[in-house]
Amino acid sequence: MKQIIRITVGLTVSCLIAALVMGSVFVITDKAKKHNEHVDVQETVLGLLGYTKSHPAPSDLKLYSLYRYILTDADTSTLGYVLPVLKGDGVGYQLMVMDLDGQFIHQYPLDMTPEKASEAAERSSALQEVVKPPKTFVYADATIVAKLGKKRLAYLLPGEFPGFKTFIHVMLALDPSFEILGLEITEQEEDPGLGAEIKQDYFKNQFKGKSFEKVKDLHVVKEPLPDEYKAYLESKKAKASPIPEGEVEAIRSRYQDKDIYALTGATISSKAVTDGVKNMVAKFAYRINRLDTVISSRHIPVAF
Amino acid sequence: MPATTKTNFELVSNGILNENPIFRLALSMCPAVGISTTVMNGIMLGIAVLFVQVFSSCTIAAIKNYIHPRIRIPTYTLTIATWVTVIDLVLAAYMPAAYKEMGIFVKLIVAFAIITMRLETFACKNSVPASFWDGIGMGFGFMFGMVALGFVRELLGMGTILGYDVLGFRPLLFFVLPAAGFFCVGIMMAMFNYMEIVYNRKRRAR
Amino acid sequence: MNISKRNYLLSAVWVVIGIFLMAGCATEHRFVKKTAFKETHQIVIEFAGPVDEAWAKNASNYTVYEKPDPDIKLKIQGVALSADRKTVTLTFTDALNQSQPHVLTANHIASEGKTLGTAILSVKKVYLGYLFSILIGAMIINNFVFTKYLGLCVFFGTSQKKSTAVGMGITFTIVIVVSAMMSWFLYQFVLRPYRLDFLQIVVFIGLVSLSVQAVDTILRKVNPLLFKAFGVYLVLVIANCIIIAVPLILADNEYNAFESLMLALGAGLGFLIALFLMSSVRERLELARVPPTYRGLPIAFVVAGLFALAFLGFSGMSIF
Repeated sequence: MKQIIRITVGLTVSCLIAALVMGSVFVITDKAKKHNEHVDVQETVLGLLGYTKSHPAPSDLKLYSLYRYILTDADTSTLGYVLPVLKGDGVGYQLMVMDLDGQFIHQYPLDMTPEKASEAAERSSALQEVVKPPKTFVYADATIVAKLGKKRLAYLLPGEFPGFKTFIHVMLALDPSFEILGLEITEQEEDPGLGAEIKQDYFKNQFKGKSFEKVKDLHVVKEPLPDEYKAYLESKKAKASPIPEGEVEAIRSRYQDKDIYALTGATISSKAVTDGVKNMVAKFAYRINRLDTVISSRHIPVAF
Repeated sequence: MPATTKTNFELVSNGILNENPIFRLALSMCPAVGISTTVMNGIMLGIAVLFVQVFSSCTIAAIKNYIHPRIRIPTYTLTIATWVTVIDLVLAAYMPAAYKEMGIFVKLIVAFAIITMRLETFACKNSVPASFWDGIGMGFGFMFGMVALGFVRELLGMGTILGYDVLGFRPLLFFVLPAAGFFCVGIMMAMFNYMEIVYNRKRRAR
Repeated sequence: MNISKRNYLLSAVWVVIGIFLMAGCATEHRFVKKTAFKETHQIVIEFAGPVDEAWAKNASNYTVYEKPDPDIKLKIQGVALSADRKTVTLTFTDALNQSQPHVLTANHIASEGKTLGTAILSVKKVYLGYLFSILIGAMIINNFVFTKYLGLCVFFGTSQKKSTAVGMGITFTIVIVVSAMMSWFLYQFVLRPYRLDFLQIVVFIGLVSLSVQAVDTILRKVNPLLFKAFGVYLVLVIANCIIIAVPLILADNEYNAFESLMLALGAGLGFLIALFLMSSVRERLELARVPPTYRGLPIAFVVAGLFALAFLGFSGMSIF
């Protein structure tokens, strides 16, 4: 009997100590993790807009994030946008609710600062104060609007879609006319050497410069990538051989409206990325047009 | 097995050569086949295993007198699981890119037979310093094995080492696939066997 | 097994199959029998009775959207009604993304002069097909030993003889199904709601030890003969990477109960298949003339490599 008590006590004590150790490590590392994620996103965004360490962003470049939620009340669904609005000298947040047909319903001010807005948990608690049960809300997606001075420079869309193995997370940059400025693969778990090549320049950069009309009808062709196109796509790499000036323009216009060349041995990954990008662009264009209509008709003082 | 009489250096070299976890003891082969596609992966996982091995060995050696013999295995498992969780959280926070490449394998360290076996055969009978050096030896042996495999596979498969383009072209993409992992480990084991046969032959000749 | 026990087992299997079939059949409105995707651009609706032609051919009576995007209504290009007026085929301008469930609203269904209310239906690919594809995926396409290279230590240890291999495989399947279901349960109802995700590893390995202990005790009492045959392998199951990889995967992908069961079953059966294939080859290898340096494990690894190459042929396959 004494043995069993000793064993149970021993086990319980060790479990508690273990839990304590793990809990404290979790709390410490969580902060670092969030900070690193934030820095990562910033770097990706600036990279897509063309700014690097040697060519830093101008000081009047501002990034604003807006978040889309789906609010459900019994059987009806409505869209809720968490928008950054101008408040005095700074930026505050507001929840703008509109119905599925694009008609404005209501707006609620939110108690949230821009730093806190990037945290999903903070947004949820701020939303819970205005969206009371039985209404529920579900996070849909986010958009980052880059503004240079008073003009919108670009839209950056983080997105994810299923790839060959698991999900592929990307960051897509569009200009105000929805032409693709760039594509960055942020997370993928595809096969190294095959599907993982989607993060190489010669695949990613094929999406650059595709117009909105072309993207809506984009397909994947299983043909080998022409050498001159490959040299053009990889022209930013360190060891790339330089292409003569006149040639660059010629190559660019020749391949601008062509479909995406699939990766060797990774057709499924290539198709997944192409279809994913296509969906993202089409849906985003539809939604941002509606949002802009509502914003201008109600004169909402949005920061972007 | 009574407390060891080897010196610290012998403990370490034992882990790397004689009782190399991957090639001699044939334990924890899952990552050896799967993750050794690049040298960087090998180093990262090697560091993770080293960390878990050393800390678990030391913890068990420190509390070996308080563990009731009937609950030995659950205690080992609990210790290993705790340290694996710690290293998992730390890697995810400070090295996210490398962590994502390794996927699920960091969490799987808890199931590596090598660590439990080492705790059972060594740490519970030896002092903390001896366990520490043994842990270091085993960890480095594992890392050495992974790096050797990663080196061969990365060079022959992608033509790069640690990401730097060395060859400028890709000799055989096959080496990056898991099937090649099996082949490489098998061949390297055969090499270790060969070295042992030659060494024994030389010893007998003396 | 004696006759009555076998009958119980068979009836249990039929009940399970029945539940599966029912899960895929019912729709949300009593007048609509079935909805399904057809080819790349079409949705087919089958009604329980004939519908009014005027109502059916009017495309504005239908709204279709993908479930996660209720604000984007898909454009219907044309509507076709079958001769017996019970089947309506909607054709869309763009190809449908069939991996997402779609929500179809048919407003004020008019049949033989009466209005039968509005039906909100969900159109998705056959769920049973999805479950089956997870099972086949875990078993063959993403075989845990040859494609995911997990569980190798035990694999090479027990694949020397067919009898040990099959014994290990069966024991493993039982334990993994039990522990995967328990892990799913705990993950859904304890770890996730309280944001204790970082305790995954400890909890799962604890559950594995518990299931091994439980299977051990139950087997000892229920069927001592079986226990004598398989009991030895139970201890080895804990050192198997697959046993903890399966709960981690189902936690990551957030599968529901049926999907977890399929994954665990597929993993176990895949392991059994791998073991069986390997043991068949190794028994033959014992009698072959292998060079001394390669004898034992090295040649086994090379053989496994060849199997892995063969299984590579399955990659990218998708049924349903």
